[in-house]
Amino acid sequence: MSIVACLKWVSHPGEPHDERFSGMSPADQSALEFALRQAEQLGRDVTAITVGPSGADKVLRDALACGATHAIRIDAPTTAAGADVATAIASHIAGAEWVWCGDYSLDRGAGSVPAFIAAHLLAEQALGVIAAELHDGSVHATRRLDGGRRELLEVHAPAVVSVEGATARLRRAGLHSLRTANNASIDVVPATTPMHRAEFMVRPYRPRARELAAPPGDSPLDRLRVLTDAATSSAARGEKVTLAPADAAERIMRALRDWGYLTP
Amino acid sequence: MSQPDVDVVVVGGGPAGSCAAIVAARAGLSVVLLERGPFPGSKNMYGGVVYPRILDELIPNWWEEAPIQRWVTRRSTMMLTDTQALTVDFRSEAWGKPPYNGATAFRPDWDHWLAGYAEAAGAQLLTDTTVVGLIRDAKGAVVGVRTDRPDGDLTARVVIACDGVNSFLAKEAGLYEHADAKHFTLGVKETLSLPKEVIDERFAVRDRHGVDIEILGGTGKVNGGGFLYTGLDTLAVGVVLKLPKLAAQQQRPEQLVAGLKAHPAIAPLVQGAELKEYSAHLIPEAGLTMMPKMTTSGMLVAGDAAALCLAAGIWLEGVNFAMASGMYAGEAAVEAVHAGDVSENGLRGYQRRLSDTFVLKDHRKLRRAPELVLSDRVQHLYPGMIANVAERMFHVDNPHPKPGVRRILAQERKKAGVRRRDLLRDGWTGFRSFG
Ligand SMILES: Cc1cc2nc3c(=O)[nH]c(=O)nc-3n(C[C@H](O)[C@H](O)[C@H](O)COP(=O)(O)OP(=O)(O)OC[C@H]3O[C@@H](n4cnc5c(N)ncnc54)[C@H](O)[C@@H]3O)c2cc1C
Repeated sequence: MSIVACLKWVSHPGEPHDERFSGMSPADQSALEFALRQAEQLGRDVTAITVGPSGADKVLRDALACGATHAIRIDAPTTAAGADVATAIASHIAGAEWVWCGDYSLDRGAGSVPAFIAAHLLAEQALGVIAAELHDGSVHATRRLDGGRRELLEVHAPAVVSVEGATARLRRAGLHSLRTANNASIDVVPATTPMHRAEFMVRPYRPRARELAAPPGDSPLDRLRVLTDAATSSAARGEKVTLAPADAAERIMRALRDWGYLTP
Repeated sequence: MSQPDVDVVVVGGGPAGSCAAIVAARAGLSVVLLERGPFPGSKNMYGGVVYPRILDELIPNWWEEAPIQRWVTRRSTMMLTDTQALTVDFRSEAWGKPPYNGATAFRPDWDHWLAGYAEAAGAQLLTDTTVVGLIRDAKGAVVGVRTDRPDGDLTARVVIACDGVNSFLAKEAGLYEHADAKHFTLGVKETLSLPKEVIDERFAVRDRHGVDIEILGGTGKVNGGGFLYTGLDTLAVGVVLKLPKLAAQQQRPEQLVAGLKAHPAIAPLVQGAELKEYSAHLIPEAGLTMMPKMTTSGMLVAGDAAALCLAAGIWLEGVNFAMASGMYAGEAAVEAVHAGDVSENGLRGYQRRLSDTFVLKDHRKLRRAPELVLSDRVQHLYPGMIANVAERMFHVDNPHPKPGVRRILAQERKKAGVRRRDLLRDGWTGFRSFG
């Protein structure tokens, strides 16, 4: 098992309870297409894997019709938490060289599953990729950064790459492979690792309230200015430092603690 | 010919296609059902009432699980002029109990449900797959279809074309001799949402009981008709328009639906409803006049593809005709495959079944009805004349005494410019068709 496409069976956001509108998200379709292209290039097989109930066989059959060689469904409810889904997948794809995922699923969309899989497999990762070039032993991936900037990564096997929806267009399945895929057998395996229900956070994240000393200033207006940073130039707020990665991380953590976002 | 891929290919997952596939698959043939949409019914629309008794044999007690909205227990026929409405209203409690009569249903639900039976019988349903042409052998016999997928040819002993109105497959096979725009009407429909309680109250029904209103007039200068059906918490309101008239009047179909909705007899029924969907589709209106040859070597045509929809004014029935013809096509295909003769002669059991059953019997009986109903007199003169007669009969104009009906009739006929000869002729045609 060297190339894996992780696919999730999702419902259409507008029709969440209607299976007729369910299927593979555009991001997962792109992931599958990259997996198939890479398999052609390297002469390998593609295993399509999903975690879900029997309805999820649909996405595996679609993958088989497009050219995937094996299909595995880990039998579990669609409500399983991302970390558990990743653990279950990782336990079935040990030894995989390349793992392709959609960047995040349409229904919940934290994008954490690929990262967890990479952690389990001790693999390199390129997540939320907006373009990928396949090379013999590597993938050159482009990621989006703030302010229109891009990050260019070169990852080597074993690696997990998660891609956005528009990165590749999934090929159209041939008629006869579609017919064969409809009758193909799918490996259904029980989830042997724990599956907890995902906890949804429905509100935006807010750091816990902390008691702070009153800001300096004689008049309420002065204190308000200090509190809100109003009228201070934004340049004054930033700090430019050149540090080794470990020191930079420590510096960021310190700043977050100072600002009250992290408990000391 | 080398061994074909399958025994039967059915093109189109509408009511005709699914019924053909159910019958053929249950008889043990290998069947592929091809549908261009992402699921059967996803691309299909109609007014909204099905008459499913033809399913009694195929799916016993179908009513226990069919995805219906309401059982039609109230049926009205309405005649509209700009300011008047004359309605004949019938209701029957018997239609609200098994085995029922008509029901309102959404096509994406109905067709999907029916196709489930085809799959359960062993037919292979392939969606998102459009048939783009026929494959023929050296002698011209149909031996399969070509699809839009890579590696997309599929060979079969029999192809059953259930691809709906304006069937490209039937045309490609040379089965349509006289396809003409004047044989088609355009149906347009708005699906409106209203709370169930409001619909129950406005239409005087309870529980799952519903209403079917067929409308003559209400389409301005364009010949056609209208309909208004109750779903559970939706209404379907629409018009059916004669194509050449629509083109000549240069009116947009949605304007005509808006006009119907604004009519004083309709407006209070749809008031405050929210538009959920607008859809349009052709109807093969001309019945027997336009029907193609139903069979050629290796191929049968069923449902709207064979113009089997019955559109005769107070009746607009296509789904039951499609289901029945699909069934009969399936049976004929089974017969032919088992006999090892899929030539035109081997498939003749199809035409025989159509002729012996309501499918062609109703069409023969009502063959003059579509033309009569869409004629200028019935569309533009009679509704006003009849409504005026009713108005004068029920108008109390004291101190004048009540006038006699015969006198009113004669006066209104003259006022409307209807010649006695034409009235008698149309009456006779109507009597022979509907009587
Ligand atoms: C506005 C309107 C109102 C109507 N009201 C009623 C009513 O109230 N009651 C009633 O009984 N009838 C009504 N009808 C008629 C009824 O809709 C049709 O008679 C009926 O749908 C015919 O069924 P069918 O299976 O023959 O065709 P369709 O229902 O048209 O199904 C054809 C199927 O074939 C598929 N298809 C087409 N071409 C291809 C291809 N090349 N490859 C693969 N798949 C293909 C389509 O996607 C579709 O699923 C109405 C029609 C209209 C337009």
